[in-house]
Amino acid sequence: MFEFAIFFFFAAVAVIFALVVVLHRNPVVGALALVASFFALAVMYVLLEAPFLAALQVIVYAGAIMVLFLFVIMLLNLQHKREEPTRPVQQFLGYTSSAAFLIGLIYYIVKYAAFTALPAGPFNSDARAIGMELFQSYIFPFEMVSILLLAAIVGALLLSARSVAR
Amino acid sequence: MPFDATDITLSLLKVVVVLLALLNVTPIMVWVERRGSALIQDRPGPNRVGPLGLFQSFADALKFILKEDVIPAQAHKWLYTLAPMFGLLPALTTIAVIPWGLPFKLPVKHWFGRTFFAGNPIFDPIVADVNIGILLIFALASLGVYGIVTAGWASSNKYSLFGGIRASAQMISYELALTLAAVSTLLAAGSLRLTDIVWQQSQYFYLFNVVKLPAWNILSPAMWLSFIIFFVSAFAETNRLPFDFAEAEAELVAGYHTEYSSMKFALFFMSEYMAMAAMSCLIATLYLGGWDIPYWDEPQVWWASLLTMLFFTAKVVVLLLIFVWVRWTIPRLKYDILMRLGWKVFLPLAFVNIVIVAFFVAKHWI
Repeated sequence: MFEFAIFFFFAAVAVIFALVVVLHRNPVVGALALVASFFALAVMYVLLEAPFLAALQVIVYAGAIMVLFLFVIMLLNLQHKREEPTRPVQQFLGYTSSAAFLIGLIYYIVKYAAFTALPAGPFNSDARAIGMELFQSYIFPFEMVSILLLAAIVGALLLSARSVAR
Repeated sequence: MPFDATDITLSLLKVVVVLLALLNVTPIMVWVERRGSALIQDRPGPNRVGPLGLFQSFADALKFILKEDVIPAQAHKWLYTLAPMFGLLPALTTIAVIPWGLPFKLPVKHWFGRTFFAGNPIFDPIVADVNIGILLIFALASLGVYGIVTAGWASSNKYSLFGGIRASAQMISYELALTLAAVSTLLAAGSLRLTDIVWQQSQYFYLFNVVKLPAWNILSPAMWLSFIIFFVSAFAETNRLPFDFAEAEAELVAGYHTEYSSMKFALFFMSEYMAMAAMSCLIATLYLGGWDIPYWDEPQVWWASLLTMLFFTAKVVVLLLIFVWVRWTIPRLKYDILMRLGWKVFLPLAFVNIVIVAFFVAKHWI
């Protein structure tokens, strides 16, 4: 009962703040609302008995990535001006593709996730178990991701170094 | 979990005790800071209100409450009001996972014709003994920057904004070094739980097979590098001199809280000192053996637990005094030096340190 109340409260928080991200005109308010939404998602992980993932969610997304986002928004001093859509085709494509995505998402959730029970039994999600999985079963994707990140870093460096050289 | 009235009462008691202790840190530390700076600079300092000026903080608090609360016309009203709270919450909550004493068995008591503590339950002096303790601290500490950044932006003042931007860049940079330095203590204990880290440190080891020393992380040579990185980064994380660029008054008036007045300003003040106290608790727990009293195998009784609590408090007080001492001794660095130090010195050193400590742990030398 108590867990249910917490779940619905934080689910509402996550959804409402996600809507604020999309609908609010001010980019700083949007970024802060995204932080709140991420935090509410971390509470979901705690309710799913995965506190390690919850902590990582807050450290990585709310604590590190969103601080960088906010940093960039403030540094560039983005104004909340409304740009008129230049081409109606773009607008049309935007709405239809997002509607198609939403319908597809709901279809798959209803078909595969919502009505199948999760495997019973204790769910081991502590740091040791996740580390074992990551470095044994998923070592290849893990290394691929690190190469991807390295490529992104090198690319960013190349772009900034080129602009400095000129 | 079964509903247990005794259990819930004890938990509430712990929460109240910890919060009261933390809230009292600010007035006491303000007094220590002002008198300490006066001592270092060879001047009397505030000495009028009460004996040794001890009641100066109460006078300050009264002044804060009575002052007019000004919100600038150009400010973003909502965020301007919320920002001090963003700053305060992480500072208040990190303390929950710090163990502040030896657990002991509660003796069976007969009060008001009823039996309490049947079966000698163990009283653990920690609010929440979660198995991700240290990650929780870093998670909450990383949210602390939002208070400063939001305050800087919402004030619509260029000095405030610069303070906020500097704070975010600084905290991102030093968070990495801080977290990586702490990894070595986790490796040594083999656990993320802070109580496990303290238990591991309450044992002993022989330095060069000769001297019997308590296994405090600071005494083990493999940990010295990690301790130095952690200690210096802690100053940057808590925005203290020599790293207080968010409020460098020579350049930025008062930085992110330039526009704040009254209790909102007081909240920033409180969160700064509470973050400092929480950081001192963390340093004491990770490196100075937590509540451990060296060369004494504490029996699990209430008086031994009380002694360990006093010992832990003493360690935290010493660290807080060092924070004050450093602030009034070392001048502020330049901002580019701070960034270079963080990214080009501390971060690579922290990585090297992890490799060294992992080697030591693999060889069972720690």
